[in-house]
Amino acid sequence: MLLKLVDLFSFLSVVLRAGTLVFQSVLLGGMIFVLWVARNSPAAAPDSIARIQASSWRMLRLSAVGLAIFQLLYLYVNSAVLMTSAEIGFDGVIGANFFVSGGIVLTAALMTAVVASGNKNIAKYTLPVLAVVVMGASVMTNHAASRIDGRPVLIALSCIHELATGFWIGGLPFLVLGLFRARDITTQWYLTERFSRMALVCVAFLVLSGTIMSVLYIGSWSAVIGTAYGVMVGAKATMLGALLVLGGVNFLLLRSTTKENALPRLRRLIEAEVGIGITVILTAASLTSQPPAVDQLNETVTLPQIYHRFKPAVPRLTYEYVAEAAAPSSGAEATGGASAAQNPPVYNVDGVPLTTRLINNSIESESNHHWMGLVVLAMGLLALLARTGRAPWAEYWPLLLIGIAIFIFLQADTECWPVGWKSFGACWADPEVFQHRMAALVCVGFAIFELRVRQRKRDGGGMALVFPLMCAIGGAVLLTHSHAITNVKENLLVELSHVPMGIIAVFAGWARWLELRLPEKDRAIPSWIWPLCFVLIGAGLLNYREM
Amino acid sequence: MIAAIYRRISALLLLLVVIGTTQICWAHAILKDSTPAPHSTVKGPDFDVTLRYNVRIDGTRSRVLLMSPDGQAAALKLGSQPSPDTLQAHATGLKPGAYKLQWKVLASDGHMSSGEIRFTVN
Repeated sequence: MLLKLVDLFSFLSVVLRAGTLVFQSVLLGGMIFVLWVARNSPAAAPDSIARIQASSWRMLRLSAVGLAIFQLLYLYVNSAVLMTSAEIGFDGVIGANFFVSGGIVLTAALMTAVVASGNKNIAKYTLPVLAVVVMGASVMTNHAASRIDGRPVLIALSCIHELATGFWIGGLPFLVLGLFRARDITTQWYLTERFSRMALVCVAFLVLSGTIMSVLYIGSWSAVIGTAYGVMVGAKATMLGALLVLGGVNFLLLRSTTKENALPRLRRLIEAEVGIGITVILTAASLTSQPPAVDQLNETVTLPQIYHRFKPAVPRLTYEYVAEAAAPSSGAEATGGASAAQNPPVYNVDGVPLTTRLINNSIESESNHHWMGLVVLAMGLLALLARTGRAPWAEYWPLLLIGIAIFIFLQADTECWPVGWKSFGACWADPEVFQHRMAALVCVGFAIFELRVRQRKRDGGGMALVFPLMCAIGGAVLLTHSHAITNVKENLLVELSHVPMGIIAVFAGWARWLELRLPEKDRAIPSWIWPLCFVLIGAGLLNYREM
Repeated sequence: MIAAIYRRISALLLLLVVIGTTQICWAHAILKDSTPAPHSTVKGPDFDVTLRYNVRIDGTRSRVLLMSPDGQAAALKLGSQPSPDTLQAHATGLKPGAYKLQWKVLASDGHMSSGEIRFTVN
């Protein structure tokens, strides 16, 4: 019970840490926005700027309060974990590095909320100081501060990286709000141009500091793809690349077309930037919670091992389990038994023979993934077909989501009714079964939603945005999933298949979002991207392997 | 009315997705070197215990337990840290047999990690 509580609190502490990072970035972005981007100028309408400033200050206060709440909860949960794990009292927690740092961030966040509510002339001078305090305290608990070698350089690079992230990505929600609040095109144009200039500088610092830190924390080319840290940095870099593409389109729009043409598109592209940007921050939170690749050199998976696992093979669509072995073979102790004598032995990535139980677990998992892959591939292909406009019946592809729900209901818990011996009611008590049934219910819900959206054709109002958001959130969750310390290589191989699918799901979600939100004439490219993403996810699932 | 119900159901569905699919990610201090080394044999009855990690460790909030062959656990008193990434202790009066060192450390980034080292005393 106690261990479960510690597990739950450790999990919560990671979620809260991610929330803290997001709010911290928005806070920093808000500070630069109110102090520099949304300033009065002859190039902007004074009443529009006044409206933008008022709403930006309000959002800055909210982000400060949000940061304070998350930081307070993080402190509470992390203190509880430490008190339980180390069996110490609360007085023993108070001097801990995370407690001091968290206390400073909490105080600075509350002070920001107060300052942002008061005299704006005083705020102009106090906000930069508070930004430095938040940054300094935040860096106290990241990888850089806990290193032994090269600490000052790494701390400086981390500061630059986090500041640039905050100013750019954290500033984007303020830009979206500002564009909404500015009712005239001149002010919207002024705001976007100023933000674009600031973002350009941030991107340069972000990429430079990120590249140097990647070299120092990853250490070798083989670790880029052979360690969880390297793979996650790769995921971050890929999404940053997508952000740069969107930013590049914005940049070109600002300079190559009229304000009237550019602004409606810019606003929607910036919405997608906000979503992908927050996913990048969540990935960064996941990254800070695992050891750098240079510390796991012995756990690096080699290219031949990766090729061996992911070389294309016929999908496994049957559940043909291996027979139980009569006696364990030598060397199998580490995995708890032995493979069946009548079957060829199966080895894990380290060359250790797998037990019959592990082989059968992998067979079941692979078959489940492959069936899912088949359905998702079909969804993608039908969506592509529907996109051509020549097969209106293909618009009913969301019905396949109900197929997924039925599959989860029947296959995820084979001991339960209708295929197993346990009654339908009795199985609800098992948390895993509960989770599976909820997932099945969610699939049915989304099938109905998306079908209704399709019946109303493209726009479908706010309801239509649920499905893209679900894709994007699902992708983000895949990118922030577990990074185990035990069985590191096997987990990395699983991660290598899931991380690309997570990235593609994020892209699918935001492409569909753009298809729904962009002006009619600009929807062509995103409307092809998301079905293609579904096809790629389906193909990825079909090639998923655990042995 | 129907739109409002849809909005609520959407929010609920999103919440279910997040709760249902969120997984755990852990942070870890990694043990780089130790005396005794895992699965090694040391000469008793007294010896020094040294644990070196990949990051700075908060020695005052970390714990090292010695599990004796009969399952009894005793906390080892940690000495001053020779370097920020290292913990030191001294074990005394150990009889021959199979032992386990169980460590729980607080890294300076605020994450707790734990592990164990099995060794034999002769």
